[in-house]
Amino acid sequence: MAASISGLLKPWTPRVFLVRWSRYNPYYLEPEVSKEAYSRPETELSAEEKEQRELKALRPIKAATSGVTSSVFDDPVISKFINMMMKHGNKVLAREIMTQTLENIKKKQVEKYHKASEGEREVIECNPYTIFHQALENCKPVVGLASIQKGGKYYQVPIPLTDNRRRFLAMKWMITECQDNKHRRTHMYEKLSQELLAAFGKEGNVIKKKYELHKMAEANRAYAHYRWW
Amino acid sequence: MATQGGIVFQEKVSRLLRGQNGKPVLKPNRALVLKDAVANRKPKKGEASCITEMSVLMACWKQNNFVDSLCSNEINSFYMCVEKAQADAKNKAGQSNIQGGRLPPKQATGLLKRYPNLCKEI
Repeated sequence: MAASISGLLKPWTPRVFLVRWSRYNPYYLEPEVSKEAYSRPETELSAEEKEQRELKALRPIKAATSGVTSSVFDDPVISKFINMMMKHGNKVLAREIMTQTLENIKKKQVEKYHKASEGEREVIECNPYTIFHQALENCKPVVGLASIQKGGKYYQVPIPLTDNRRRFLAMKWMITECQDNKHRRTHMYEKLSQELLAAFGKEGNVIKKKYELHKMAEANRAYAHYRWW
Repeated sequence: MATQGGIVFQEKVSRLLRGQNGKPVLKPNRALVLKDAVANRKPKKGEASCITEMSVLMACWKQNNFVDSLCSNEINSFYMCVEKAQADAKNKAGQSNIQGGRLPPKQATGLLKRYPNLCKEI
Protein backbone atom coordinates (compact mmCIF):
# COMPACT_ATOMS: atom_id res chain seq x y z
CA MET A 1 0.00 0.00 0.00
CA ALA A 2 2.81 2.38 0.86
CA ALA A 3 4.51 1.58 -2.46
CA SER A 4 1.38 2.46 -4.49
CA ILE A 5 0.90 5.79 -2.68
CA SER A 6 4.54 6.75 -3.25
CA GLY A 7 4.07 5.65 -6.89
CA LEU A 8 1.21 8.12 -7.26
CA LEU A 9 3.40 10.97 -5.98
CA LYS A 10 5.89 10.59 -8.85
CA PRO A 11 5.21 12.65 -12.01
CA TRP A 12 3.42 10.38 -14.44
CA THR A 13 4.71 9.98 -18.00
CA PRO A 14 3.05 7.58 -20.47
CA ARG A 15 5.04 4.51 -21.46
CA VAL A 16 4.07 4.74 -25.12
CA PHE A 17 4.22 7.99 -27.09
CA LEU A 18 2.19 8.57 -30.28
CA VAL A 19 4.88 9.47 -32.74
CA ARG A 20 3.59 8.77 -36.22
CA TRP A 21 0.92 11.47 -36.47
CA SER A 22 3.09 14.23 -35.04
CA ARG A 23 4.90 16.28 -37.63
CA TYR A 24 8.29 14.84 -38.46
CA ASN A 25 11.32 16.96 -39.31
CA PRO A 26 11.71 16.77 -43.11
CA TYR A 27 15.18 15.35 -42.44
CA TYR A 28 13.57 11.98 -41.60
CA LEU A 29 13.21 9.42 -44.41
CA GLU A 30 10.30 7.10 -45.19
CA PRO A 31 10.68 3.48 -44.02
CA GLU A 32 11.12 0.65 -46.54
CA VAL A 33 8.77 -2.14 -45.49
CA SER A 34 9.03 -4.79 -48.23
CA LYS A 35 11.49 -7.62 -47.64
CA GLU A 36 12.36 -7.91 -51.35
CA ALA A 37 14.06 -4.52 -51.27
CA TYR A 38 16.62 -5.83 -48.75
CA SER A 39 17.13 -9.31 -50.17
CA ARG A 40 18.65 -7.99 -53.44
CA PRO A 41 22.46 -8.51 -53.54
CA GLU A 42 24.93 -5.62 -53.86
CA THR A 43 25.77 -6.32 -57.50
CA GLU A 44 22.19 -5.86 -58.74
CA LEU A 45 21.83 -2.32 -57.48
CA SER A 46 22.55 0.70 -59.66
CA ALA A 47 24.71 3.63 -58.42
CA GLU A 48 21.67 5.66 -57.33
CA GLU A 49 20.25 2.80 -55.33
CA LYS A 50 23.59 2.24 -53.61
CA GLU A 51 23.67 5.91 -52.66
CA GLN A 52 20.13 5.64 -51.34
CA ARG A 53 21.11 2.66 -49.19
CA GLU A 54 24.09 4.50 -47.73
CA LEU A 55 21.94 7.52 -47.02
CA LYS A 56 19.40 5.33 -45.23
CA ALA A 57 22.17 3.92 -43.03
CA LEU A 58 23.03 7.41 -41.74
CA ARG A 59 19.76 9.35 -41.67
CA PRO A 60 16.98 8.93 -39.08
CA ILE A 61 13.87 7.12 -40.35
CA LYS A 62 10.21 7.67 -39.50
CA ALA A 63 8.26 5.02 -37.60
CA ALA A 64 6.19 2.75 -39.86
CA THR A 65 2.41 3.16 -39.64
CA SER A 66 0.44 0.28 -38.21
CA GLY A 67 -1.33 -0.12 -41.55
CA VAL A 68 1.72 -1.48 -43.41
CA THR A 69 3.28 -4.92 -42.89
CA SER A 70 6.23 -6.72 -44.40
CA SER A 71 4.16 -9.84 -45.08
CA VAL A 72 3.47 -11.16 -48.59
CA PHE A 73 -0.22 -10.36 -48.20
CA ASP A 74 0.32 -6.63 -47.76
CA ASP A 75 -1.24 -4.75 -50.68
CA PRO A 76 -0.99 -0.93 -50.75
CA VAL A 77 -4.04 -0.61 -53.03
CA ILE A 78 -6.23 -2.68 -50.72
CA SER A 79 -4.90 -0.79 -47.67
CA LYS A 80 -5.84 2.47 -49.35
CA PHE A 81 -9.30 1.15 -50.15
CA ILE A 82 -9.81 0.04 -46.54
CA ASN A 83 -8.73 3.47 -45.28
CA MET A 84 -11.19 5.14 -47.62
CA MET A 85 -14.02 2.90 -46.44
CA MET A 86 -13.19 3.54 -42.77
CA LYS A 87 -15.57 5.75 -40.81
CA HIS A 88 -14.81 7.43 -37.45
CA GLY A 89 -11.52 5.57 -37.22
CA ASN A 90 -13.16 2.13 -37.10
CA LYS A 91 -10.43 0.29 -39.00
CA VAL A 92 -11.47 -3.08 -37.57
CA LEU A 93 -14.90 -2.82 -39.16
CA ALA A 94 -13.52 -1.60 -42.49
CA ARG A 95 -11.05 -4.50 -42.64
CA GLU A 96 -13.80 -6.96 -41.74
CA ILE A 97 -15.94 -5.65 -44.60
CA MET A 98 -12.99 -5.96 -46.99
CA THR A 99 -12.17 -9.55 -46.02
CA GLN A 100 -15.85 -10.50 -46.20
CA THR A 101 -16.06 -8.89 -49.65
CA LEU A 102 -13.07 -10.86 -50.94
CA GLU A 103 -14.44 -14.06 -49.43
CA ASN A 104 -17.82 -13.41 -51.03
CA ILE A 105 -16.22 -12.81 -54.43
CA LYS A 106 -14.28 -16.05 -54.12
CA LYS A 107 -17.40 -17.97 -53.14
CA LYS A 108 -19.39 -16.66 -56.09
CA GLN A 109 -16.61 -17.34 -58.55
CA VAL A 110 -16.00 -20.88 -57.26
CA GLU A 111 -19.72 -21.58 -57.50
CA LYS A 112 -19.70 -20.36 -61.09
CA TYR A 113 -16.61 -22.45 -61.77
CA HIS A 114 -18.18 -25.65 -60.57
CA LYS A 115 -21.41 -25.06 -62.46
CA ALA A 116 -19.65 -24.20 -65.72
CA SER A 117 -18.77 -26.69 -68.44
CA GLU A 118 -15.17 -27.77 -69.21
CA GLY A 119 -14.58 -25.19 -71.95
CA GLU A 120 -15.73 -22.21 -69.87
CA ARG A 121 -13.78 -23.18 -66.74
CA GLU A 122 -10.47 -21.76 -67.95
CA VAL A 123 -11.91 -18.32 -68.50
CA ILE A 124 -13.39 -17.92 -65.00
CA GLU A 125 -11.09 -15.96 -62.67
CA CYS A 126 -11.21 -17.15 -59.07
CA ASN A 127 -8.53 -15.04 -57.38
CA PRO A 128 -10.41 -12.20 -55.59
CA TYR A 129 -7.32 -9.96 -55.57
CA THR A 130 -6.93 -10.03 -59.34
CA ILE A 131 -10.67 -9.39 -59.68
CA PHE A 132 -10.38 -6.40 -57.34
CA HIS A 133 -7.41 -4.92 -59.19
CA GLN A 134 -8.92 -5.50 -62.61
CA ALA A 135 -12.27 -4.02 -61.55
CA LEU A 136 -10.51 -0.92 -60.19
CA GLU A 137 -8.53 -0.59 -63.43
CA ASN A 138 -11.76 -0.75 -65.41
CA CYS A 139 -13.28 2.01 -63.27
CA LYS A 140 -10.40 4.48 -63.61
CA PRO A 141 -11.25 7.48 -65.83
CA VAL A 142 -8.73 8.53 -68.51
CA VAL A 143 -9.46 12.28 -68.57
CA GLY A 144 -11.12 14.45 -65.98
CA LEU A 145 -12.89 17.79 -65.99
CA ALA A 146 -11.63 20.96 -64.31
CA SER A 147 -13.62 24.14 -63.68
CA ILE A 148 -11.61 26.96 -65.33
CA GLN A 149 -12.64 30.60 -65.32
CA LYS A 150 -12.35 32.54 -68.57
CA GLY A 151 -13.94 35.87 -69.29
CA GLY A 152 -16.21 35.81 -66.25
CA LYS A 153 -17.68 32.38 -66.99
CA TYR A 154 -16.67 28.98 -65.70
CA TYR A 155 -16.10 26.21 -68.24
CA GLN A 156 -15.67 22.47 -67.71
CA VAL A 157 -12.33 21.78 -69.39
CA PRO A 158 -11.04 18.24 -70.10
CA ILE A 159 -7.65 17.72 -68.44
CA PRO A 160 -5.24 14.76 -68.10
CA LEU A 161 -5.26 13.25 -64.60
CA THR A 162 -2.38 11.88 -62.52
CA ASP A 163 -2.35 8.18 -61.60
CA ASN A 164 -3.06 8.89 -57.96
CA ARG A 165 -6.09 11.03 -58.85
CA ARG A 166 -7.48 8.37 -61.16
CA ARG A 167 -7.10 5.65 -58.55
CA PHE A 168 -8.71 7.89 -55.94
CA LEU A 169 -11.68 8.65 -58.20
CA ALA A 170 -12.23 4.97 -59.00
CA MET A 171 -12.18 4.01 -55.30
CA LYS A 172 -14.38 6.96 -54.30
CA TRP A 173 -17.00 6.16 -56.93
CA MET A 174 -17.05 2.52 -55.92
CA ILE A 175 -17.49 3.28 -52.22
CA THR A 176 -20.16 5.99 -52.64
CA GLU A 177 -22.06 3.82 -55.10
CA CYS A 178 -22.12 0.93 -52.66
CA GLN A 179 -23.05 3.13 -49.73
CA ASP A 180 -25.89 5.02 -51.43
CA ASN A 181 -27.58 2.75 -53.96
CA LYS A 182 -28.33 -0.30 -51.91
CA HIS A 183 -31.33 -1.77 -50.17
CA ARG A 184 -31.21 -1.11 -46.45
CA ARG A 185 -31.18 -4.86 -45.73
CA THR A 186 -28.19 -5.75 -47.97
CA HIS A 187 -24.82 -5.75 -46.26
CA MET A 188 -21.99 -3.57 -47.50
CA TYR A 189 -19.79 -6.54 -48.38
CA GLU A 190 -22.59 -8.09 -50.42
CA LYS A 191 -23.17 -4.93 -52.43
CA LEU A 192 -19.42 -4.34 -52.82
CA SER A 193 -18.86 -7.84 -54.17
CA GLN A 194 -21.71 -7.39 -56.65
CA GLU A 195 -20.30 -4.07 -57.86
CA LEU A 196 -16.74 -5.37 -58.10
CA LEU A 197 -17.81 -8.39 -60.14
CA ALA A 198 -19.89 -6.13 -62.40
CA ALA A 199 -16.94 -3.77 -62.87
CA PHE A 200 -14.74 -6.76 -63.66
CA GLY A 201 -17.19 -7.56 -66.46
CA LYS A 202 -17.28 -3.87 -67.54
CA GLU A 203 -20.88 -3.30 -66.53
CA GLY A 204 -22.60 -1.70 -63.55
CA ASN A 205 -23.16 1.80 -62.21
CA VAL A 206 -19.53 2.73 -61.58
CA ILE A 207 -18.52 1.94 -65.16
CA LYS A 208 -21.56 3.94 -66.29
CA LYS A 209 -20.32 6.90 -64.22
CA LYS A 210 -16.91 6.64 -65.85
CA TYR A 211 -18.48 6.62 -69.31
CA GLU A 212 -20.57 9.67 -68.46
CA LEU A 213 -17.43 11.54 -67.44
CA HIS A 214 -15.78 10.54 -70.70
CA LYS A 215 -18.84 11.71 -72.66
CA MET A 216 -18.83 15.08 -70.88
CA ALA A 217 -15.12 15.48 -71.63
CA GLU A 218 -15.73 14.60 -75.28
CA ALA A 219 -18.60 17.10 -75.47
CA ASN A 220 -16.40 19.86 -74.03
CA ARG A 221 -13.34 19.08 -76.13
CA ALA A 222 -13.54 22.54 -77.75
CA TYR A 223 -12.54 24.13 -74.43
CA ALA A 224 -9.36 22.09 -74.14
CA HIS A 225 -7.29 25.15 -75.12
CA TYR A 226 -8.37 26.97 -71.95
CA ARG A 227 -5.79 24.94 -70.09
CA TRP A 228 -2.41 26.58 -69.55
CA TRP A 229 -0.38 23.70 -68.24
CA MET B 1 33.63 51.90 -45.75
CA ALA B 2 29.97 51.09 -45.61
CA THR B 3 29.44 53.32 -42.56
CA GLN B 4 31.20 56.27 -44.28
CA GLY B 5 29.03 55.86 -47.36
CA GLY B 6 26.08 55.41 -44.93
CA ILE B 7 26.68 58.75 -43.20
CA VAL B 8 26.91 60.64 -46.51
CA PHE B 9 23.72 58.89 -47.69
CA GLN B 10 21.86 59.77 -44.47
CA GLU B 11 22.87 63.43 -44.89
CA LYS B 12 21.55 63.42 -48.44
CA VAL B 13 18.24 61.91 -47.33
CA SER B 14 17.80 64.41 -44.50
CA ARG B 15 18.53 67.30 -46.93
CA LEU B 16 15.83 65.96 -49.26
CA LEU B 17 13.36 65.73 -46.41
CA ARG B 18 14.12 69.18 -44.97
CA GLY B 19 14.33 70.66 -48.44
CA GLN B 20 16.04 73.75 -49.75
CA ASN B 21 14.47 77.10 -48.79
CA GLY B 22 12.06 75.40 -46.41
CA LYS B 23 10.31 73.33 -49.13
CA PRO B 24 10.96 69.59 -48.71
CA VAL B 25 11.56 67.61 -51.90
CA LEU B 26 10.28 64.31 -50.47
CA LYS B 27 7.11 63.88 -48.43
CA PRO B 28 7.11 60.18 -47.66
CA ASN B 29 3.91 58.70 -46.22
CA ARG B 30 5.78 55.50 -45.22
CA ALA B 31 9.14 55.02 -43.50
CA LEU B 32 12.10 55.04 -45.90
CA VAL B 33 13.10 51.46 -45.04
CA LEU B 34 13.76 48.53 -47.40
CA LYS B 35 11.33 45.57 -47.10
CA ASP B 36 12.53 42.03 -46.47
CA ALA B 37 10.63 40.72 -49.50
CA VAL B 38 10.62 41.09 -53.28
CA ALA B 39 7.48 41.49 -55.43
CA ASN B 40 6.33 38.32 -57.19
CA ARG B 41 6.56 37.94 -60.93
CA LYS B 42 3.49 36.92 -62.93
CA PRO B 43 4.04 33.29 -63.97
CA LYS B 44 4.16 32.94 -67.75
CA LYS B 45 0.99 31.36 -69.10
CA GLY B 46 2.00 28.27 -71.07
CA GLU B 47 -0.17 26.46 -73.59
CA ALA B 48 -2.13 23.28 -73.09
CA SER B 49 -0.03 20.15 -73.61
CA CYS B 50 -1.11 16.91 -75.33
CA ILE B 51 -4.08 18.44 -77.16
CA THR B 52 -3.48 16.46 -80.36
CA GLU B 53 -3.30 13.21 -78.41
CA MET B 54 -6.47 14.08 -76.56
CA SER B 55 -8.35 14.96 -79.74
CA VAL B 56 -7.21 11.68 -81.38
CA LEU B 57 -8.40 9.80 -78.30
CA MET B 58 -11.77 11.54 -78.34
CA ALA B 59 -12.24 10.86 -82.05
CA CYS B 60 -11.56 7.19 -81.36
CA TRP B 61 -14.09 7.25 -78.52
CA LYS B 62 -16.72 8.83 -80.76
CA GLN B 63 -16.18 6.14 -83.39
CA ASN B 64 -16.26 3.21 -81.00
CA ASN B 65 -19.04 4.47 -78.72
CA PHE B 66 -16.66 5.04 -75.76
CA VAL B 67 -15.52 1.43 -75.42
CA ASP B 68 -12.02 1.61 -73.93
CA SER B 69 -10.68 -1.75 -75.06
CA LEU B 70 -10.87 -0.75 -78.75
CA CYS B 71 -8.98 2.53 -78.14
CA SER B 72 -6.11 1.10 -76.06
CA ASN B 73 -3.40 2.37 -78.48
CA GLU B 74 -4.67 5.94 -78.32
CA ILE B 75 -5.00 5.75 -74.54
CA ASN B 76 -1.40 4.53 -74.18
CA SER B 77 -0.04 7.25 -76.43
CA PHE B 78 -2.03 9.84 -74.45
CA TYR B 79 -0.54 8.60 -71.17
CA MET B 80 2.98 8.69 -72.60
CA CYS B 81 2.44 12.24 -73.88
CA VAL B 82 1.19 13.30 -70.43
CA GLU B 83 4.22 11.75 -68.71
CA LYS B 84 6.60 13.47 -71.10
CA ALA B 85 4.86 16.83 -70.60
CA GLN B 86 5.13 16.48 -66.82
CA ALA B 87 8.84 15.59 -67.04
CA ASP B 88 9.42 18.57 -69.35
CA ALA B 89 7.64 20.92 -66.95
CA LYS B 90 9.80 19.66 -64.07
CA ASN B 91 13.04 20.13 -66.03
CA LYS B 92 12.01 23.58 -67.19
CA ALA B 93 11.29 24.72 -63.63
CA GLY B 94 14.85 23.70 -62.65
CA GLN B 95 16.54 25.39 -65.63
CA SER B 96 14.78 28.76 -65.68
CA ASN B 97 16.17 29.51 -62.20
CA ILE B 98 19.77 29.81 -63.43
CA GLN B 99 19.23 31.85 -66.61
CA GLY B 100 18.59 35.60 -66.64
CA GLY B 101 21.34 36.52 -64.17
CA ARG B 102 18.75 37.22 -61.48
CA LEU B 103 17.34 35.13 -58.68
CA PRO B 104 13.67 34.13 -58.99
CA PRO B 105 11.45 36.13 -56.58
CA LYS B 106 10.79 33.25 -54.16
CA GLN B 107 14.47 32.53 -53.63
CA ALA B 108 15.29 36.24 -53.30
CA THR B 109 12.58 36.63 -50.62
CA GLY B 110 13.89 33.60 -48.74
CA LEU B 111 17.42 34.98 -48.74
CA LEU B 112 16.27 38.43 -47.58
CA LYS B 113 14.22 36.90 -44.76
CA ARG B 114 17.25 35.04 -43.53
CA TYR B 115 19.38 38.22 -43.53
CA PRO B 116 16.81 40.89 -42.77
CA ASN B 117 17.15 44.65 -42.78
CA LEU B 118 17.98 45.72 -39.19
CA CYS B 119 15.85 48.72 -38.17
CA LYS B 120 16.54 48.74 -34.42
CA GLU B 121 19.61 48.10 -32.33
CA ILE B 122 17.92 45.69 -29.91
